[in-house]
Amino acid sequence: MTSAPWWRIGWRNLGRNRRRTLITALGLAIGYFAVVFMVAWAEGLQSEMIENGTGLLTGQLQVHASDYRPERKIYDTIGGREGTDVEGLVREVAADPAIAAAAPRVYAGGLVSSGEATTAGILMGVDPRREADVSRIMRGLVRGAIPSAGANEIMIGEEMARQLEADVGDEVILVAPAADGSLGNDLYTLSGVFRSGMAELDASYALLPIGSLQMLVALAPNRVHEIAAATTDPWLAEQAAERLASALAPLAPALEVEPWGRLRPEMMEYVRLLEGWYLIVIVIVFAIAVFGVANTMLMATFERRREFAVMLALGTTPWRVTWTVLAEAFSLGLVSLLVGAAITFPLLVWWHNAPPDLSWLYGDFTMFGALVRPVLRVEYNAEMAVQTAFALLLTAVLASLYPAARAARVPPADTLSGL
Amino acid sequence: MTRTRRLLVGLLFVVAPTSASGQESARDIIDRVDRILRGESSHGTSTMEVVTENWERSITMEVWSLGTEYALVRITAPRSEEGMATLKAGDDIWNYLPRVDRTIKIPASLMMGSWMGSHFTNDDIVKESRLIEDYDIDYSFEGERDGVEVWEFLLTPKPEAAVVWGHIEYQVRKDDLMPTWARYYDEDGGLVRTLTFSDFRMMGGRLVPAVMDLHPQDKPGERTTVRYNSLDFDIDIDRSFFSLRALRSARR
Repeated sequence: MTSAPWWRIGWRNLGRNRRRTLITALGLAIGYFAVVFMVAWAEGLQSEMIENGTGLLTGQLQVHASDYRPERKIYDTIGGREGTDVEGLVREVAADPAIAAAAPRVYAGGLVSSGEATTAGILMGVDPRREADVSRIMRGLVRGAIPSAGANEIMIGEEMARQLEADVGDEVILVAPAADGSLGNDLYTLSGVFRSGMAELDASYALLPIGSLQMLVALAPNRVHEIAAATTDPWLAEQAAERLASALAPLAPALEVEPWGRLRPEMMEYVRLLEGWYLIVIVIVFAIAVFGVANTMLMATFERRREFAVMLALGTTPWRVTWTVLAEAFSLGLVSLLVGAAITFPLLVWWHNAPPDLSWLYGDFTMFGALVRPVLRVEYNAEMAVQTAFALLLTAVLASLYPAARAARVPPADTLSGL
Repeated sequence: MTRTRRLLVGLLFVVAPTSASGQESARDIIDRVDRILRGESSHGTSTMEVVTENWERSITMEVWSLGTEYALVRITAPRSEEGMATLKAGDDIWNYLPRVDRTIKIPASLMMGSWMGSHFTNDDIVKESRLIEDYDIDYSFEGERDGVEVWEFLLTPKPEAAVVWGHIEYQVRKDDLMPTWARYYDEDGGLVRTLTFSDFRMMGGRLVPAVMDLHPQDKPGERTTVRYNSLDFDIDIDRSFFSLRALRSARR
């Protein structure tokens, strides 16, 4: 015989007190919603942080000569002293399916001077046309225009502009130790001022067309320090880096392709910390739920003592009785799950597509040097939704173990004789 | 200000009964060495050779100095850098860039930056002749080294001195007061660089080391060598020579 009757008995018993069943199921459903939603929100916050943190300047993936980081010496260009086919490399990087855009960069350290004032700055040579697709730095323009390729034009942060008392149209002098040991120096026109929201960036970065910077520091046009890329999804960066490492290997020797997780390890650590925290949330929420379900099941089995006594008296084994109660609990879990999913998923889809604005609750804030917008952004996490579903069913069954065991040990004769 | 401070420091040594006579004379010796090398004023031409892992270059320059406070260096070759100049006045350093015809004051944050691509820093240019002001000086050794009678001195920074070294060791030959080497240590006592003096010869009427070699400890094979081709002392020069306007004037 199949175990069908025990399932049917369990299922039918849910209908015995529908209100009680519904309230318990709702409790479990809300627990399910709470876990899935909190994880989705935390992931939304994480994605926000990662996209902002890496999208501002770093990009989600970078290619360097393997000896470039961490010292960032001006000589350690991609392909070494001989340089490389920069365009070919950029094309190859951009061709990866997970890469949205890629752009070359050159870096140098030097002095930025205007009028009487001088400050130390990080000079960054970019392709003005392509850089905007990789990072947001050039989009933070507050005054003037971005430097045009091939011109001696420069764009500096708002704080640096304040320190130099310089404004759009002013003359700026750059002095930088060049790759041949000489002291590069030249005149530039301040074409624009940007604001990134990061104070240290606004005080120290100066952006100029990549060719102009190569000229200043005596680097040939085929020598660049970095190719930065934006991914379509930051979580794809690691796989893309692996693919690119082998795809680029024939094009230039000793390359290093690094996803943001290695460029910004502090962000990755935070992500790992959060993932550990999800488990704690699940345990807490369902630990509370266990008592709610146990209470319901105790009541449901207590009021059916006579029924169990009859079953036992008719020859049902105690094990079968236990099984009936567990089947009931499992069915309750399934109902709860359906209700929970019905509440959770439409809300998730809605908030994912139109994140509610929470600026009335909290303003912009920065986390690990990343600006986070005050929106309730949620991310889908199928794995988490499935795990939580299992946790819910497990909770329902675990909570019924004790009531089920008690039901199986009802003394038939005593119970039927009126007590 | 400086003179007052030096006077005060001098007074302290006279007044303080505990100050050993050894300390006073160690200081005196360094001061005397310093005066020999510097004179009241000086004018010379020199060649600086810089060898790094990545490039080698040589520049020739003309150097003027007045006391401990003023110095002017003007590059005369190679052609691409001809006319570049550095002016030191007190604690400040300006660079003149002929290509853009501008003068730039080196900000405090870049004082530890390289001077003209060499292993010397801007800070070295400012502090080169201020050892006796910034450091307490003690004998650490007196006797024979490689057959030559020498003194070795230990220079430890005075508590209030804004210097970058943890301590400096300095060796001076006894018979002619010529320095032979100076070793610069960081605050953890690790050797950072060694400055070696050699080719002692008569220039401008005095015995001076014509060659200085600077070897950074962490980059074996790299060095900066300064060789004096000519050197005159106590020339007719005054403060107006060391002005920003003079710095900009293309030729002298």
